Amino acid sequence: MPVPGAIKVLVVDDQNSVRQMTRMALEEIGFRHIHEAENGVQAMETAAVQPLDLIISDYNMPEMDGLGLLRAVRGHPVARKVPFIMLTGRGDRELVVKAAQAGVNNYLVKPFTSAILRDKIEAVIGKLS
Amino acid sequence: MASLDDLKKTFFDECDEAMQQIEIGLTDIRSGEGNDETINAVFRGVHSVKGGAGIFGFEQLVGFAHVFETVLDGLRNGSLTATPDNLDVLLSASDVLSDLVQMSRGGETIAEGFGAEVRSGLEQIIEQGGGGGDDGDIAPAEFDGLDFMPVAVNLDDLGAEDAPVGGDGRGVYKIVFRPKPEMLKKANEPLYVLRELRKLGEAEIEANSDDLPALTDIEVDVPYLWWTITLRTEEPRAKVEEVFEFVMGDCDLSIENDTPPAAVAAPQVVIADTAMPEAVAALPVIEAPSVAPAMPAPRAEIKPAMAKPEGEQGGGGGRGKPAATTTRIELDRIDRVVNMVGELVISQAMLGQIVQDLPESTSMRLIQILDEVAHHTRELKDSVMSMRAQPVGSVFQRMPRLVREVAAKTHKKVRLETHGETTEVDRSIIERLGDPLTHIIRNSVDHGVESPSARIAAGKPEEGVIRLSAEHRGGRIVIEIKDDGAGVNSERVLKIAREKGLVGPDAQLTEDEINNLIMMPGFSTAEVISDISGRGVGMDVVRSNIQDLGGRITLKSVRGQGMTIQLALPLTLAVMDGMVIKVGTQTYVMPLSAIVECLRPSRGEISALIGTHGMLQLRGEFVPIILLSDLLGVDSASGSNSERVVIVTDNGDGSRIGLVVDELLGHQQVVIKSIEESYGAVPGIAAATILGNGRVAFILDVEKLAELAAQTPITNHATSRAAQPALN
Repeated sequence: MPVPGAIKVLVVDDQNSVRQMTRMALEEIGFRHIHEAENGVQAMETAAVQPLDLIISDYNMPEMDGLGLLRAVRGHPVARKVPFIMLTGRGDRELVVKAAQAGVNNYLVKPFTSAILRDKIEAVIGKLS
Repeated sequence: MASLDDLKKTFFDECDEAMQQIEIGLTDIRSGEGNDETINAVFRGVHSVKGGAGIFGFEQLVGFAHVFETVLDGLRNGSLTATPDNLDVLLSASDVLSDLVQMSRGGETIAEGFGAEVRSGLEQIIEQGGGGGDDGDIAPAEFDGLDFMPVAVNLDDLGAEDAPVGGDGRGVYKIVFRPKPEMLKKANEPLYVLRELRKLGEAEIEANSDDLPALTDIEVDVPYLWWTITLRTEEPRAKVEEVFEFVMGDCDLSIENDTPPAAVAAPQVVIADTAMPEAVAALPVIEAPSVAPAMPAPRAEIKPAMAKPEGEQGGGGGRGKPAATTTRIELDRIDRVVNMVGELVISQAMLGQIVQDLPESTSMRLIQILDEVAHHTRELKDSVMSMRAQPVGSVFQRMPRLVREVAAKTHKKVRLETHGETTEVDRSIIERLGDPLTHIIRNSVDHGVESPSARIAAGKPEEGVIRLSAEHRGGRIVIEIKDDGAGVNSERVLKIAREKGLVGPDAQLTEDEINNLIMMPGFSTAEVISDISGRGVGMDVVRSNIQDLGGRITLKSVRGQGMTIQLALPLTLAVMDGMVIKVGTQTYVMPLSAIVECLRPSRGEISALIGTHGMLQLRGEFVPIILLSDLLGVDSASGSNSERVVIVTDNGDGSRIGLVVDELLGHQQVVIKSIEESYGAVPGIAAATILGNGRVAFILDVEKLAELAAQTPITNHATSRAAQPALN
């Protein structure tokens, strides 16, 4: 059973407020190792130096969007199997389809509660202890 | 951990940035300067507002942003077109969105139908485009009819999971291994390395012997052979690298992952036929309910994806290329540093004073060091000030909306052009710039630019142009508002000024002086008091606002061609360059920015004129002279008038006066300390400062002094002298 405190998660969003809210929700669940990136390019830079267990990324970002990031991650020799949860806006079903094709593990519609976030994470990496 | 309130504040700060991005983007698109990325940036801006608003529960904001976003998405994907009419609706939408943000920020209750008109305008656009794939209502958190199966991953597999796994579950590495002489000198044997590699898996080793010389020429400690190895292994790359651990610096080594493309497990997407919207149904991929196409070769994917993710989003919108790393700091903290720098400037000045009194033998070296300290302090000051600096764009961004609104109310056509939005100036100035600028621009649209018919009659294009620009010039920021309207009607202005008794009936004024009358207190030329301008607050308030900021306002107008108002403002309100002067026993500081020149005129250059202290003849121009000692009510210490100095100052409206002082003590950076809180406003005194000797000196308000001089009748004491020039 995965222990949240041991899981290294990367939160990617260009909005600081959303990153902080996601961080708060993750901390509520028990996550301790939370990295942040503002866009796909920064996220890939982090992924290159930092082993990750989970990526939670927004879709709409400048520089490199969530889909670009997902594809980059899936093509990366080291990070390519890291579970990836995409944050989407409400009603963004087309994106979910695209993301699914690109190998997303799950999606999460904004706004979300920590309970929903937990569900979405557990659906990917199993029940958290 | 940040509190929810802090996060909300962050969110609203982000909203400000987003609104700016939206406004600039839409304005660019309307003026034909936009491209695909511009519309993307606008979309992202609205999307950010919507996303954050959802998280913080600002439902009305979310609802409106959603419809707005839908239209922008339509423009992005080409299902809608950016006609001028549509753009007008979008611009109004950005106004409404901005209002909604402000109301949400202020915790106001937003009326149910707020922005309903604009919203229905947006909905109409969506309908024109054939529905846009969304009914405008927000979909639930889970998508109906989209049967997404989350893809489970075992985290334990991740750790050992950096071996590139080929189609047969094994990684393939292409290794080129070329020992350097150092390697042999350190007694490392390439053969052992190759043997170790073999242990990892199946290795095809090919030796390259091209460099091998004739037997007679072989040297024992030079490696001539090198190898290309194709290694198939289940071990991770780290294991492969480990083999070369001891020879790492002593050989040329490349390890390339040559693994054939592998299919990444794709989640299954099943879309139920029932709730399938057309837009989604049109996607060719939907028919694949089983396995999505295999991923392309991983290595090939990374680089292009980093450079440009599928041509979807290019650069960072209005933010330029790679965004500089930023951190948000509370303003209070910066202000504390600013204050400390101020104190440092004072301490340093004090130190300088003491050093000067020391014997030269000791002071020489100290002065050198002190010079360095002064240099660093100045740099420190500049750096801190630059932290407080903000681009004027944050004020400018409010103006397009203002122009649109006023133009609509007055039935005029006006285009606003902005330049130099990135010019930076201290935050405190930015905060106080909004009102004057709003007033000036409102005036320009309301009174400056003519009605379309009048413009056509005057042979001008129907649409008026107001150009708002900012630039740094000579240590100040110069903001210019220029319109191509009718200009100031000087006859009318003069007539009104005479009626109101602002000008004597016989006074002869130049065109410029007449134009500047509109900034006199109590002057309002609007014949019709509209609800736009003429609320009893006129250009005089603008002028005093600008003067309070230590700035100058100048007005130039050409009849029929338009008016230009120029604001010259200091870059900061905390520290300024001053000239330390002496009058009698008192020391004062005069803002360097107000000083045109300092001179010691000869007797012949002063002409007597009854009722004045004299006129200084300066290169063919007459400048009235004022004794600062009289004006400030202090005794002049200087017995010999010929030693007095005249400081010629610019009063901001183009007129000049010569202020007579006893002595110039030197140029110094001074920290501005407000006295208003303790004493209220003292006419003629702008603020105070602490000098190097620890004493307090007043900073003079030169423009007020000129006004005071004009109002104060020359005293008997002075009149007796006035018969003769003041400086004989």
